[in-house]
Amino acid sequence: MSSAVLNRLKDEYGAVRAVLPPGVIGAERRREALEALCAQGLPAARDENWRYTDLRILEQARFAPVQTQAAALPPLPEVPEGFARYVFVDGRLHSGAGAAHGVTVHTARTDDASAAAWRLEARLPEARLALLNETFATDAVSIEVAAGTQAAGIELVFIASAAATEGASYPRVRLALGADSRLSVIERHLGRAEAPSLVTSAVQVDLAPHAALTHYRVQQLGAQAAWFDTLSAELAADARYEMLAVGAGALSARSTVHARLSGRGAEFSLAAAALADGQQSLDLYALSEHVAPRTRTEQTFRGIASNRSRAAFNGKVVVREGARGTDSRQSLRGLLDGAQCEVDLRPQLEIYTDEVSCSHGATAGKLDENMLFYLLSRGIAPEAAQHLLKWAFLEDVIAKITLSDLRRQIETTLLGQMRELETLKELL
Amino acid sequence: MLTIKNLHATVDGQEILKGLDLEVPEGEVHAIMGPNGSGKSTLAHVLAGRPGYTVTAGSVHFKGRDLLALSPEERAREGVFLGFQYPVEIPGVNNVYLLKAAVNAARAHRGEPEVDAFEFLTLVREKMRLMRMDESMLSRGVNEGFSGGEKKRNEILQMLVLEPSLAVLDETDSGLDIDALKIVAHGVNTLRAPNRSQLLVTHYQRLLEHIVPDRVHVLVKGRIVRSGDRTLALELEQRGYDWLISEAA
Ligand SMILES: Nc1ncnc2c1ncn2[C@@H]1O[C@H](COP(=O)(O)OP(=O)(O)OP(=O)(O)O)[C@@H](O)[C@H]1O
Ligand SMILES: [Mg+2]
Repeated sequence: MSSAVLNRLKDEYGAVRAVLPPGVIGAERRREALEALCAQGLPAARDENWRYTDLRILEQARFAPVQTQAAALPPLPEVPEGFARYVFVDGRLHSGAGAAHGVTVHTARTDDASAAAWRLEARLPEARLALLNETFATDAVSIEVAAGTQAAGIELVFIASAAATEGASYPRVRLALGADSRLSVIERHLGRAEAPSLVTSAVQVDLAPHAALTHYRVQQLGAQAAWFDTLSAELAADARYEMLAVGAGALSARSTVHARLSGRGAEFSLAAAALADGQQSLDLYALSEHVAPRTRTEQTFRGIASNRSRAAFNGKVVVREGARGTDSRQSLRGLLDGAQCEVDLRPQLEIYTDEVSCSHGATAGKLDENMLFYLLSRGIAPEAAQHLLKWAFLEDVIAKITLSDLRRQIETTLLGQMRELETLKELL
Repeated sequence: MLTIKNLHATVDGQEILKGLDLEVPEGEVHAIMGPNGSGKSTLAHVLAGRPGYTVTAGSVHFKGRDLLALSPEERAREGVFLGFQYPVEIPGVNNVYLLKAAVNAARAHRGEPEVDAFEFLTLVREKMRLMRMDESMLSRGVNEGFSGGEKKRNEILQMLVLEPSLAVLDETDSGLDIDALKIVAHGVNTLRAPNRSQLLVTHYQRLLEHIVPDRVHVLVKGRIVRSGDRTLALELEQRGYDWLISEAA
C-alpha cells in the first residue's frame, strides 16, 4: 500500500479530528492508533496473511467518517424472539430498544464510562485495521453482563448506507461478560444494495471465568461494499465462546478473529460459512491461541466459490508453552463451482508444548459427480441439484445455528443468494 | 416397454457395450446376469443417462420413444428408475424431502398438482413398514450413515413410492442378508403389474427364487450372448460362465 494513501489518511484525520467524539475514544488514543498504523503501514497483498484479501478499495476510499446518511435504509429482518435490537447507521446509533434484562448497554456518545475498558488492538499485524477503527470511530457500543446473570439476547444491526467516496463507517463493539453469566448476541452487517461502502469494524470480547457467549455474525453487506473486520477475544478460565459466522455479502470482506484462551479450561468454537459469487472475495483469518492448560478450540469452515469469486480461510492454531492438555480441532472444506473461482484453505498449527491433541483437515473440490447424478436420476433438475448440494455442503455450519428464527432468516438469505429459493424450499 | 438394438457405448474412450440387443415387453421381469466387468452396470447407467457414458451406435426405445434423446431427469420423470449398485450418501440432503421432490418432479411433468404432504407421508410410512425400515431413516440425510443393506432398502423404498414404468435394479440383492433379501423381493413383487417392467441385474440365482423372471439374459463382454427362461439361471449357477465366454469368443 503506497505511502500516498498513508499521507492521505493522516490528512483526513487532521481535517476531522476536532469533530471526532472524545467520549468514544480520546484524542490522545486516536493519535496513538494512527501512528501505530502508519508505522506498520496498511496491509497489502504481498503480506503473508493478507494475500487473499481484496484491498483495492483502500486506494480510493475516503477514511473520514460518513457525515450524511442516506435517507433510505434497507429493509430489516424481523427481530428474533427474545432479542432487543440496536440499529447503527454508518457507525452511529440510530435506534435502540430500552434496557434488556440483565444487560447494560452503553453507547459511548451518551456515556463515556466504558471507553477506558477498551484494549488498544495492535499486537498482531493481522489485527492492524482495528487501529483504523480506533482512529476514526464515531460511536461505540459496550454491552456488559453482570456476574451470575442469564441475560436476554441483544441484536446489533450495523447498516452501511453511504459510498466509500463519501466516507467510511466504523462499528465498534465491546462484549464483556461477568463471571458465570450468559449472553447471546446477533451482530448483523447490512448495507444498501448498491452502495460501495467501506466498513471497518472492531469487536472486543472479554469473558470472565465460566461466562458463556454465543455470538452470531451475519455479513450481508451490499454487493459493492467492503468490510474489514477485527475481532479480539480474551477467555478466562472455563469461559465458553461460540461464534457462528455467515458471510454472503460485500465485494470484499475480510475478518480477522483472534481468540486468546488465557484461562484454564476455556473453550472457543468458530463455525463459519462463506458463500461467494460473482467477483466477490471473502476472506477469514482466525487465530486460536491456547495459553492456559486444558483449553479447547474448534474451527469449522465451509466456503463456496462460484463464477470468478474467492473464498478463503486461514486458520491458525497456536498452542503456547504451558497449554498442556489442549484439544484443538479444525475442519476446513471448500467447494469450487466454476473454472475461474478460487478457494484457499490454510490450516496452520504451531505447538510449543507436549500432551496436546490436535486434528485438522482441509479439502477443496468440485461438486461430487456421483451425488449430482443420483439427484438427476430421481428427476431433480440439474440447476436445483447443484444448488441442493451446495446447500448441503454448508449444512455443517448452518445446523449449528440453534436459534430457529435466525436460522430461517439465514437460510432464506443464502437461498436467495443462490437464486433457487422456490425449488429448494421444498427440500429443506 | 424397452427395446435396445445394437447398442454400443464407451466410457472414457473405452468401448464397454459392443452391440447389445434386448427387448423387455410390458409387464415382464427380466434378469441380466454375467461375469464381473461384463458391462451390466454400464448398461444400467446408459439407460439412466449418466454423463460420461457415450452411446456411439445403436438405439434405445422406451414406450416407443427415443430414450437416448432425453436428459437423465426427463427419463426419471417419464418413469425410468435406476436402483444403484452403490447408492451414494448425500449428507445434508434430507431423505424424505428428496423423495417428495422426486415425486413432485414426476407429477409436474405429467401436469399434475403437487402431492399432499400428509398423504405423502402416510404413503411413505406404509412403504417403509413394508421394507421394515426404521422411521428414523426418514429424517436422515440421503443414505447418510446407512448400512449397505439399508441403502439397498432405501432404493427399493424410493422405487415403491415413485412407481416407475421401468425399474432397472443393479445388484439390489448384493449385500443383503437372507431376511432382507426376502423383504426386497417382496417389495419388487408388489410393483409387478401389466403396465410395468423390471430389469434385474444380479449375480445370484437366489434372488430369482423370490422374484421369478420371465426371461434371463447373459451379458458377456458387452453383448447378450444367451437368453432363456428361468432355468438358464439355474444352469449358470451350476456351470458358471466359462462355457459361455468361450462360446462367445
Ligand atoms: N470410467 C471408466 N473408465 C474405463 N473403464 C471403465 C470405467 N468404468 C467402468 N469401466 C470398465 O467397464 C467394464 C464394465 O464395468 P461394469 O461396471 O459395467 O461391469 P459390471 O458388469 O457391472 O460388473 P460387476 O458385476 O462387477 O458389477 C469394466 O471392465 C470396467 O473396468
Ligand atoms: Mg455392476
